[in-house]
Amino acid sequence: MVSISVLQRHPDDGWALADPMKVGAPMRRVLLKLADAILPPNPRLETTLEDVTRHALICLRYMPRSSALLFLLAMRVLNWSPLWRLRGFRPLTSLTSDAARRQLVSASQSRWLPVRLLMYGPLGLFMSSYFDQDYVHRELGYAPVPFITGRIELRRAWVEGQEPGADQEIRHLPVRAP
Amino acid sequence: MTILAHRDYRKLEEHQAEIVVIGTGAGGAVVGAELAEAGRDVLFLEEGGYHPTSSFNPYLTESLPRLYRDAGGTIIMGRPPIPFAEGRCVGGSTVVNGGMAWRPPETVLADWERITRQPDLGLKAMEPLLERVEERIHAKPQHASSIGEDSRLLEEGARRLGWDYAHNRRAQDRCVGSNQCLTGCPTGAKQSTLLSYMPRALSTGARCLTEVRAQRLWIERGRCVGVFGKAINPRTREEDVDVRVRAKAVVVACGAIQTPFLLLGHRVGRPSKQLGKNFLCHPNAKVIAIYPDPIYAWQGVSQGGQIREFRNEGILMAENAVPPGTTAAQIPFLGQEALDLMKRYDSMVMTGVLVEDSHSGTIARRFGGPMARYSITRYDHARFLRGVQHLATLHFEMGAERVILPFSNFHIARHVDELAGIERSQGSRSTIELFTVHMMGTCRMGSRPSHSVVNLSGEVWDLPGCYVADASLFPTAVGVNPQVTIMALATRVAQRLQVPN
Repeated sequence: MVSISVLQRHPDDGWALADPMKVGAPMRRVLLKLADAILPPNPRLETTLEDVTRHALICLRYMPRSSALLFLLAMRVLNWSPLWRLRGFRPLTSLTSDAARRQLVSASQSRWLPVRLLMYGPLGLFMSSYFDQDYVHRELGYAPVPFITGRIELRRAWVEGQEPGADQEIRHLPVRAP
Repeated sequence: MTILAHRDYRKLEEHQAEIVVIGTGAGGAVVGAELAEAGRDVLFLEEGGYHPTSSFNPYLTESLPRLYRDAGGTIIMGRPPIPFAEGRCVGGSTVVNGGMAWRPPETVLADWERITRQPDLGLKAMEPLLERVEERIHAKPQHASSIGEDSRLLEEGARRLGWDYAHNRRAQDRCVGSNQCLTGCPTGAKQSTLLSYMPRALSTGARCLTEVRAQRLWIERGRCVGVFGKAINPRTREEDVDVRVRAKAVVVACGAIQTPFLLLGHRVGRPSKQLGKNFLCHPNAKVIAIYPDPIYAWQGVSQGGQIREFRNEGILMAENAVPPGTTAAQIPFLGQEALDLMKRYDSMVMTGVLVEDSHSGTIARRFGGPMARYSITRYDHARFLRGVQHLATLHFEMGAERVILPFSNFHIARHVDELAGIERSQGSRSTIELFTVHMMGTCRMGSRPSHSVVNLSGEVWDLPGCYVADASLFPTAVGVNPQVTIMALATRVAQRLQVPN
């Protein structure tokens, strides 16, 4: 018997996802502002910023506590980056989204490695969460589920004795060479 | 089949077994299955959860916390810092790797034989172990129906440039190229230890305690006699259940970072002072090309082959399509610019340059966790620059519009002539962006206690009853995907493991 997947977003295999790490309101404001500045302005749902922040806080639960606390401290430092990078007097949370984004773009292109390093965490957490949503997949034209479902069926037939033929090969437009 | 999870535990869990194996990845599952099939009473401890094939899906927000250590948020400190990923679930990293099944190169085995001054790690002695592993994981080339356009494009590019390209052998049984290797194979084709070795072990009576983190070894009168652990509450991630397992032998197979971390909590590895040293990691640099037409790299097997032309320089190149979430975290843009680029996701071909280590790092215990330190050398850096230049050249040869480079100060090349600027602009090792998935070498195997951490049976020189069976054993970098080599060495450990009466 071949075990096959039903590709549910929240699979019911008896395993519980952790609750989000608890943080205070100021820290939550910092994370929401960072998410707002990092993510594309569209497409978004009303809950997008809350959702990606919640995902980030869930991921922090899976890290060693010291790493999670260090991450949160780094986000506070990043929030005040306009001040210590001598680019303004106010933290990111007091800036508009566009202004905050300009600050973060500049930080991510800094010639100083420790400054760029501060951006690794929020970029990884927020981007991976945002670009994992169905409404963003639609925007990209990315539809993995129908493709995988077809492949699961193909393998099922193969296990039952029907080897895939040339018409089952994955072929799209030929790549144009210069 | 006995697989227990946190919900099954009482306040104090006490177990006995003949052999306790910590970890269920390429090392642990193999040792445990070989021993269980030989009639031994085996108990596995696994820090992650049990996730069957039917639970796998293409969503990162689910798979990162479920299948990856620290939800994928782990980093090796050094110049440059290197993010790394490893599995934390039943099956370990074999659940989330590409399933490549390359044998260790003969030159590497000859080196190991020379370093250890024993034939045990030479080609002749390893051959039957490699054959046994390959048979059990169904190591074979891909069927044509599983190959995607990105693999064909790389192969064609290599052919045009006159480079050697080799089709990958993989641990797979009728793979149809769903391209979900990194989030758990949803078709059941990839023969991770979740599907190959663990069922063998469990069907012959082995037990598996999941969601248990091994805290320290149980040592009595100088001999390892068990493990103390803590079960992790899946909701709060608090360690709230004590777990004690008493055994006649303990096999530590937690990977090249967690294994030395566990052993460093004890006074072992002293004769050679090599425990936690010799950390190797095959760093990778990502090169993403954008083509005028859709390639749909996310359809078809991840890494159909490798460019091996520069293997003698320690450089490998391959394609490796990753989901949009992972790609977006690696591109040099934020906001609308990031979305505009990501709208070309279907036209992207994600490739990487792997460089074999010329130098090693260390693992230490810091702030209650393992701290990995590793910096690339100038020689490695120069090879990365060459590798990136070669790969970008191939993409332009194949008609790429632009190529995203792994440098913080030189992100995009729009023409092949711009690649000459790589050498000029990349004087510093801090500007290259790397990642890794192959950690090795921190409890090196050897024939002399003064030069190694474990003997050629995998037993820690100064802790009888404690064996190591994972990539930590490698005396040097293996230069190819390490899964088969780990499995072969783990088979050897199982064959030689001595249990006192």
